[in-house]
Amino acid sequence: MIELIELTKRYANTLAVDELSLSVPSGEIFGFLGPNGAGKTTTIRMMMGLLQPTSGRVLLGGADLATDPLTAKAMCGFVPDRPHVYDKLTGAEYLDFAAQLYSLPDGVRHSRRDRFLQLFDLAAWGDELVEGYSHGMKQRLVMASALMHEPQLLIVDEPTVGMDPRGARLLKRIFRETAGRGATVFMSTHSLEVAEELCDRVGIILHGKLIALGTVEELRAQANHTTDSSLEAVFLRLTGGEEDEPAHEALFA
Amino acid sequence: MTAPATRERLATTSATTWGELHQQDPDAHGGWYWQRLLMSPRLLAARNRYRRYSKGARIRLGALALLGIGFGAGVFTFFYRALNYFLSVPEFGPVLTYKLLGMVFVTFFSILLFSNIVTSLSTFFLARELERVVAAPVPVRNLFYARFAETVIDSSWMMLLFAAPAFLAYGIVHDTGPAFYLTTIATLPPFLLIPAALGVTITTTLVNVFPARRTKDILLLLAVFSIALLYTLFRMVRPERLVNPEGFADFTAFLTAMQTPEYTFLPSTWATEILFPMLGLRDGNPLFYYAVLLSTAAVAVIGCEAVVTRSFAAGWTKAQEGRQTRKALRPLWERLVGVFTAPFSSATKVLVEKEIKTFFRDTSQWSQLILLGALVVVYVYNFSVLPINGSPLVTFYVKNVIAFVNLALAAFVTASVAARFVYPSVSLEGRAFWAIKTAPVSARQIWWSKFWSGLVPLLILGEILIVATNSYLQVMPFMHWLAAVTLLVMLFPIVALALAVGIAYPNFEAENAAKIASGAGGLVYMLLCMSFIAAVVMLEAWPVYVMFSSQFSEAPLSISGWIGVALSFGSVAGLTVSVFLISVRRGIAALENLEV
Repeated sequence: MIELIELTKRYANTLAVDELSLSVPSGEIFGFLGPNGAGKTTTIRMMMGLLQPTSGRVLLGGADLATDPLTAKAMCGFVPDRPHVYDKLTGAEYLDFAAQLYSLPDGVRHSRRDRFLQLFDLAAWGDELVEGYSHGMKQRLVMASALMHEPQLLIVDEPTVGMDPRGARLLKRIFRETAGRGATVFMSTHSLEVAEELCDRVGIILHGKLIALGTVEELRAQANHTTDSSLEAVFLRLTGGEEDEPAHEALFA
Repeated sequence: MTAPATRERLATTSATTWGELHQQDPDAHGGWYWQRLLMSPRLLAARNRYRRYSKGARIRLGALALLGIGFGAGVFTFFYRALNYFLSVPEFGPVLTYKLLGMVFVTFFSILLFSNIVTSLSTFFLARELERVVAAPVPVRNLFYARFAETVIDSSWMMLLFAAPAFLAYGIVHDTGPAFYLTTIATLPPFLLIPAALGVTITTTLVNVFPARRTKDILLLLAVFSIALLYTLFRMVRPERLVNPEGFADFTAFLTAMQTPEYTFLPSTWATEILFPMLGLRDGNPLFYYAVLLSTAAVAVIGCEAVVTRSFAAGWTKAQEGRQTRKALRPLWERLVGVFTAPFSSATKVLVEKEIKTFFRDTSQWSQLILLGALVVVYVYNFSVLPINGSPLVTFYVKNVIAFVNLALAAFVTASVAARFVYPSVSLEGRAFWAIKTAPVSARQIWWSKFWSGLVPLLILGEILIVATNSYLQVMPFMHWLAAVTLLVMLFPIVALALAVGIAYPNFEAENAAKIASGAGGLVYMLLCMSFIAAVVMLEAWPVYVMFSSQFSEAPLSISGWIGVALSFGSVAGLTVSVFLISVRRGIAALENLEV
């Protein structure tokens, strides 16, 4: 479903993503992990056509994003890391708008809009302008808008940041159900618990390069950890985070 | 080290450091310390932006500077020629020179006042970075001066850019020597400070008076206020007296009246009275007026400081409270939008509907329409009172020449409106643009949705302007049609150019459309647009002149004459189509590659 081929993004003096190649099959929940500034969001934004890659290709469901962007985009639902939405639309209007961008028939659009407002706890706010929504409400609205057209590929950047426990539980359920119907979920996250609990496979990116790829067990083996160690320990070992611990000592010195 | 030991150490170091760090009272720092500190993020950001410019961006910056210089040269030429012409007119020359200087200052003052009111709303109350500064132990007085300086710079830099060549022309034409320039340099700072202080005071008061009714009401009030101000100042200058000396009892009374400042309480009058005697055309009392200007500026700034330091906290709090939920209204016209968008394809229809809804729900956008309405009324009114009488030949020529100037002016007005409403339309998508960019909607569809949303209202506005004013002028039917059709055709490239340049200079972080339009890209757009308008008008001027002459002398046009006419109109068509197609192509390509 997802093919990244030597994907590279260079900003003026920074190599944000460095010849990243990755393949994710249909029906998989894939976790994309990495420390801050590793290149996760840049990769995702290139996958969605929000950034132009310096070189390399993105294939979504076999469609090349560079040459056939509309086919590629029609398959995807996207949830960005920050829920920027049109403040002057109501929640219901926003869902309508998002669905119309994917040419959803009117009947389906209206029934899904009402159902999703209910599901995401926004029914009481559906006729309010989005400018009055809290951060969490906007996140739920964006998630709902990404699901309106039942995408074959759901790409989610940091889904649980700012979500309350109830919202986070709902998300997990949605991801499982989405993968259950054969769609692919590609998510970047800092929440290693979520990744460990949900993901079939995990990729770790550091300095723009994919440094580890596989199931959690396979990553444990790569990091030479025992079977009972957590993904956090594996992650810190692979990304060099363990070396940071003495830094606490230096704090306030 | 064990965990408790670390905690103990942290506690010890923290306690000591806290004591040492916070011994100093924030008020103990000098004003300059705070000024430098509070303005540093902006200065550093500007420096960093410049350092990170790629070679291409620096070249663009250079090209922009060159364009600016070119435009400055245009302003200089206009003033240089006008002033030289005035010099050649006996008796009237000094009067016209004085009036022009007065008009320059009145225009500057009114624009500066409005600009300061709008800018200070953002710099003092709405800017995102303010939260961090307000939460820090910064004395309000110092916050005031830092923000005041930002307001003055933001509101005045462009005005100074256009003022410099005008004053240079005054100096050169009247061969004044360095004293005039030094006086100008000394006059401008207090002249800029007065509208800034007034603007900040008005904004602070409004924010305190209208807490619950949100920024919307403030902006609405500002719009209405500016209409009144604009209209009043316009009438104060009484420009029609320049062309109608007969209205005065006698010529001497006319001259005396024209040379006497009408509204001595206006800072623009004081500034005129300081500079005019330096031109050597008549005596005056510049020192007195300078003292008045300087003391007023000082009092205004101190008064403004007093208002802000007393009411900033309350105003700031109320400005925050203003951001509350508002139930969306669905008036009938919104349903009519569906009818309006019916001819479009489904994707374009969705985007156009969204454009219209967000526009009319954004007060900072639609309130500008009130101002626009007033400008149109004043514009058309002026044509209704133009004293065009005289011999049939003179009247015939004057009417048709004015009709031509009117065409250029109407095009300029619509271009200015496009700069304010069409140019920022992609930037106004803001960070929410990802929703459209990641959807299966082509750049072409996005482009055309924005294009039609901008073109239709501008066509209505432009045609009303040109048809109404030409009706008042009673121009020949040929000129009537020519102007109406030319403007209609010109509006396509004018709107396309606004979109294309707007995409080339995206600003997704700006808080309002006015800020987007006042950026470098806005300037580039206006310069390109004005060049285009000037080219079209000039290309049409010759054939129209030839045809009028032939008609008036009742001598039929020769074949070569007809060929020349056809070539001129052909060039207009070629230029218009080229600018339109280039704008569309480059705009769509830029939109495709736009990174959000």
